[in-house]
Amino acid sequence: MRALIDLIIKNKHWFVFIGLEVLSLAFLFSYNGYQKSVYFTTANDVVGSTYNVISGITSYLHLQEENQALEQTNEELRRQIIEIQRQIDEHHLDSILRMPSLPKKYDLVHAQVINGTLHKSNNLLTINKGEADGIRPEMGVVCSQGVVGIVYMTSEHYSIVMPILHVNSKISCRLRNSEYFGSLIWQRGYADIAYVTSIPRHAEVAPKDIVETNGFSDIFPPGLPIGMVHRINDSTDGISYMLRVKLFTNFTTLRNVSVITNYQSAERRQLEEMAEMHDKQ
Amino acid sequence: MSSTFLLRTARLMIILFFQIVVFNHIHLLGYITPLVIGYMLVCFHRNTSRIAVLLWGFSTGFLFDIFSNTAGMAAASCTLVALMQPALLQMFCPRDAAEDLVPTFHSLGFWSYLLYIFILMLVLHGAFYLLDAFTLIDWQLTAYSIIGGSLFTTITIVLIELIVRSHKSTSHFS
Repeated sequence: MRALIDLIIKNKHWFVFIGLEVLSLAFLFSYNGYQKSVYFTTANDVVGSTYNVISGITSYLHLQEENQALEQTNEELRRQIIEIQRQIDEHHLDSILRMPSLPKKYDLVHAQVINGTLHKSNNLLTINKGEADGIRPEMGVVCSQGVVGIVYMTSEHYSIVMPILHVNSKISCRLRNSEYFGSLIWQRGYADIAYVTSIPRHAEVAPKDIVETNGFSDIFPPGLPIGMVHRINDSTDGISYMLRVKLFTNFTTLRNVSVITNYQSAERRQLEEMAEMHDKQ
Repeated sequence: MSSTFLLRTARLMIILFFQIVVFNHIHLLGYITPLVIGYMLVCFHRNTSRIAVLLWGFSTGFLFDIFSNTAGMAAASCTLVALMQPALLQMFCPRDAAEDLVPTFHSLGFWSYLLYIFILMLVLHGAFYLLDAFTLIDWQLTAYSIIGGSLFTTITIVLIELIVRSHKSTSHFS
């Protein structure tokens, strides 16, 4: 302590010097506008840089929170992407191509149902594609859920489709995993129920069996799903079953459909027509 | 109140008067203004209290600032010179010099005295003009002012010294 006091006393002129210089500089910066502005500018720069460094350091401390927020945002965006992708897949008309039973070689014309009825006995659907798009009568119409019907009439830009829900509709079908085939018909009433006739009584049928196209007609390729066996009834003739089928296609919300345009074989058609004519003769 | 104090006060007043009335209006080459108030600071005899020298230096600069509108600049510069003066005088003193040696041509020798004054003036002008410019953007002009001012003030102080000493044979002026 004594040494410290001695040191201070010995160097007291330094303290006086510092005091006087501080006083002088206080005058300098107080009464000279230029020096004052330079001083404050420099001081602001120094303070600014210091804060910059401090914020640089503290921003590292906040990285954890930033990271979490980004992670949340990422998750939200990922969820949105999945949702949008799902919607695209759902709405994209290529969805029919995802049906495993439909070979890729068939050309599909995508169309939208623009008009239709469900409550009449002869329901018809209007789609917004016609001859200009390559659609001809008796082409098959499907949707992502299953079979819709058959093109009935065409104009330049529109077509009328006879759906399964038409009393004159008759589509050749079979039970999946067995070779028993029959005809799908509709009786007025429910928009989601159709019947399969001509299934022999010895066929092994169980509820929830899948009914699909059998490919006998030149309209649908084989294996397109139609519906699921709901109940097994006897037919009126008593020698076959009449299967009550719950249709896969939801006609009440049907919007996007596809027309199979190149399944029909001209050669086959020609041959069949020749045979028919031969028969008549 | 000691006679030394009165003498120093009188000298300060005279130097300040000439500085304000005459030398403040000299602008050699447009930028060299001699700070003859430095003469006040070179005359302190050896072993003068360092605190006293500092206070005299500060007062000189402060009074100059008041009349020259250079608040703080000369005060800071003169205080710095006042800090250096005793140490510098010690360096230039002959080995067998008296304890209360007064720095003059006779006591230090011509060249030593000249160098002693020039160094102190260089510090004074350096500090003053640097504080005045407060930037190094136009450092050449500042350097010319410092060197030119130091040389001019040194010559002026030498002339004053010669005039004063030729009229006074005794060296009790400080």
